[in-house]
Amino acid sequence: MAKKFLQRLGLKDKLLAIIVPLLVLAAWQGAVSQKLCSELILTPPLTLLNTLLELAQSGDLTLNILASLKRVMIGFLLGGTSGFVIGILMALSPFLNRIFGPLIKALQQVPEFAWMPLIIMFLGIDEFAKYFFVAIGAFYPMVLNTYQGVSGVPEKYHELARVFDYKSFRYLFKVIIPSALPSIITGIRLSLGLSWMFVVGAELFGSDSGVGYLMTWGRAVFQIDLVMAGLILVGVIGFAMNFLLERAEKQFLLWREPVDGRPA
Amino acid sequence: MSNNKGTLEIRNLSKSFIVDNSPLQILNNINLTVTSGSFVSIVGSSGCGKTTLLRIILGLENHYDGEALMDGKQIVGPGTNRGIVFQDHRLLPWLTVGENVAFGLDKLNRKEKKLLVDEHLQLVGLIGFESVYPSQLSGGMAQRVAIARALANKPEMLLLDEPLGALDALTRMYMQKELERLWQLEKITMIMVTHDIEEAIYLSDKVVIMSSRPGIIKQIIDVSSSRPRDRASSEFMQIKAEILEEFHLGTEYTFAYAI
Repeated sequence: MAKKFLQRLGLKDKLLAIIVPLLVLAAWQGAVSQKLCSELILTPPLTLLNTLLELAQSGDLTLNILASLKRVMIGFLLGGTSGFVIGILMALSPFLNRIFGPLIKALQQVPEFAWMPLIIMFLGIDEFAKYFFVAIGAFYPMVLNTYQGVSGVPEKYHELARVFDYKSFRYLFKVIIPSALPSIITGIRLSLGLSWMFVVGAELFGSDSGVGYLMTWGRAVFQIDLVMAGLILVGVIGFAMNFLLERAEKQFLLWREPVDGRPA
Repeated sequence: MSNNKGTLEIRNLSKSFIVDNSPLQILNNINLTVTSGSFVSIVGSSGCGKTTLLRIILGLENHYDGEALMDGKQIVGPGTNRGIVFQDHRLLPWLTVGENVAFGLDKLNRKEKKLLVDEHLQLVGLIGFESVYPSQLSGGMAQRVAIARALANKPEMLLLDEPLGALDALTRMYMQKELERLWQLEKITMIMVTHDIEEAIYLSDKVVIMSSRPGIIKQIIDVSSSRPRDRASSEFMQIKAEILEEFHLGTEYTFAYAI
């Protein structure tokens, strides 16, 4: 009903996607300025914008974002690469699959944050502990999607490789990985997304830099605007990363069959 | 190709698969000689083992009894002297047309590769399509790329597993002419599995008729009519009637029914 009404107003879905959040922000701003809610509890959007600008001007913003991104990249590379390699090995070797498969499935049931006490006990709260925590988050989507992609390579491509005498690395890089690429890229996207969530989590426990640190600091000094600005940053950066990866995915997979479903 | 390459000699070949722990005989005592440069079709209803026979010749099925000799050597696996065109074109969707044709040329340098790719795209009439992806091609075009890919390797024998089976009737007849042209041009041996009797008569020097359970060769019919063949000629009709008779599908009114 509402959709039809809005469509009659001539609004496209994309425009709506921008208008709805703006309306929420306006209502938020209005609620505070009409004293329906204390400014100390619910910082109005304009103040938040101001906080963000101040953070940007002082250089704190860039510094903390870069600190978080660095942890994401290192953790993602550690966890993603090992997930990729183990996923391929499991898919290609029934033996390794029997060994690692159940273990990985069991460990996957452990909520990621439950690793925290163990990591702190073994690795402390220094940088490496954070990389490790992010790496755990990055590992699962990568190993599962890579495994799925590689074990899903159609038999007909394996036959083709045999006929044209493709073996070992040439076989892996020219037939298996390209065929599994859609799945692998989905793995990368999910893996990077989780890395970002986990780095913020890691920074909430003992850290002296990063977006998560910004928020803990805000809480400690009761600067709600800082906490909320941090929330917004986390959302915006996560959204941007996902958006860029989706674009890259489309670019990478141009060969996929067109939408009309004609078989490739 | 030189005149004595691309011969096939199959002697007392049998093959069985294990199904539910008991052997199921697929091929029984197959004997077949294919001379260099000839076009041989294998026809039969589904399940007669014709595709299995082709896969043995290709080298994808390794465990069999009897002999399968390619140019006098026992076939133990795939080799570059045999090319294959599958029923599904089996192009790799992430490679362009040009890269697909070059798929078997991995050991050559770029220049040699490009030369061979161009030559074979020209051969199948697809010059200008090098950088197109398979998903953008029609079924007939994709199958022509698959043929170019198989021929680029310069095989002595081209194996065709129902290569035109997925095409519509008109494209199919056009592609039959194309296959004949390529066969005459390349002068290599071609062995085609098909269930289309007209297609087999139109293209072949020899039509091998198989029957099922277990697969045996029932009859080998020589077709010596001059080319290009006229599907409506009485000679063509006669051969067709003869083959249909083998499948117990002959009728007294073959002529009236075929026109």
